[in-house]
Amino acid sequence: MVLGLREFTERVGDGAGEPVLDSDNGEELMHVQHSVAIVLGNRLPVSPGTLYISTKQVVWLSDVDKTKGYAVDFLSLSLHAVSRDPEAYPSPCIYTQIETEADEDESEGSDSESSDTLDLSKITEMRLIPSDPSQLDTLFDIFCECAELNPEPIDGEEEEHNWIFSADQMVDEVAEEGDHFSQDPTNSIGHSNGDHDLARTVLELQINDQRFEDADEMDDDHERGHH
Amino acid sequence: MLFFSYFKDLVGREVTVELKNDLAIRGTLHSVDQYLNIKLENTRVVDQDKYPHMLSVRNCFIRGSVVRYVQLPPEGVDIELLHDATRREARGG
Repeated sequence: MVLGLREFTERVGDGAGEPVLDSDNGEELMHVQHSVAIVLGNRLPVSPGTLYISTKQVVWLSDVDKTKGYAVDFLSLSLHAVSRDPEAYPSPCIYTQIETEADEDESEGSDSESSDTLDLSKITEMRLIPSDPSQLDTLFDIFCECAELNPEPIDGEEEEHNWIFSADQMVDEVAEEGDHFSQDPTNSIGHSNGDHDLARTVLELQINDQRFEDADEMDDDHERGHH
Repeated sequence: MLFFSYFKDLVGREVTVELKNDLAIRGTLHSVDQYLNIKLENTRVVDQDKYPHMLSVRNCFIRGSVVRYVQLPPEGVDIELLHDATRREARGG
């Protein structure tokens, strides 16, 4: 996967319409917002354009120059926010931070060199300014919804990170171990040191751990408790 | 799901989320999902000199994968519970 912002030119129809989406892989258009200006990094706003939010990416297409457009995957959007403070930016906007391949070097330097050459791979900030500021909250919510549709791909990292993803199983294991503990405390960590007090402490902690179980299960427990 | 459950308990409290790009944002924890995406309200940037444009955004969505640390309110931390929970994680791994 390529991180960061990229050019986007594929439009349907005669090349003047909506962006071509990867519908074969389930990409769907979620929202269209007309009359949106885009600001890349510290550059001047470019307008007018149309914002297309799909289940996978954010696409901005110029209304004037039909060959001009930008896209960024939700996987590359580190952060998005509603910015209304005129001190932060003169126009109310959706502010986003973009993760790039070379995140170490900040983008600020590139702007000073030449304002005509635009290196999209170094853009770490993007603002989207709808002509109608009342749409900001709606846009923010759609961004949130779509960001949640795009969790980090976990292939290849499963070994390393499996302590996160197997938490459910562990709860079960621990439940079993808990019984085991109370029946045969000689197997506990503390006893192997001959430290009985530590063993008791471990036992006590073991009992009082329901808060860390899934919320759903907690609700169940409450139900049972009351009836 | 340990941290997911733990963070859900902290909804409504003030936390500071430090991103991997060194930006630190303080705000009220509005919600957290299973990917540890974090929504903050009434946010402000801790280092305002470095990030003046982030001066004040009212609400903010932070992708879980870019979070480095979450600084918790001291009163939201039950050390004994966390000890036990992390011990369990270590055993399971």
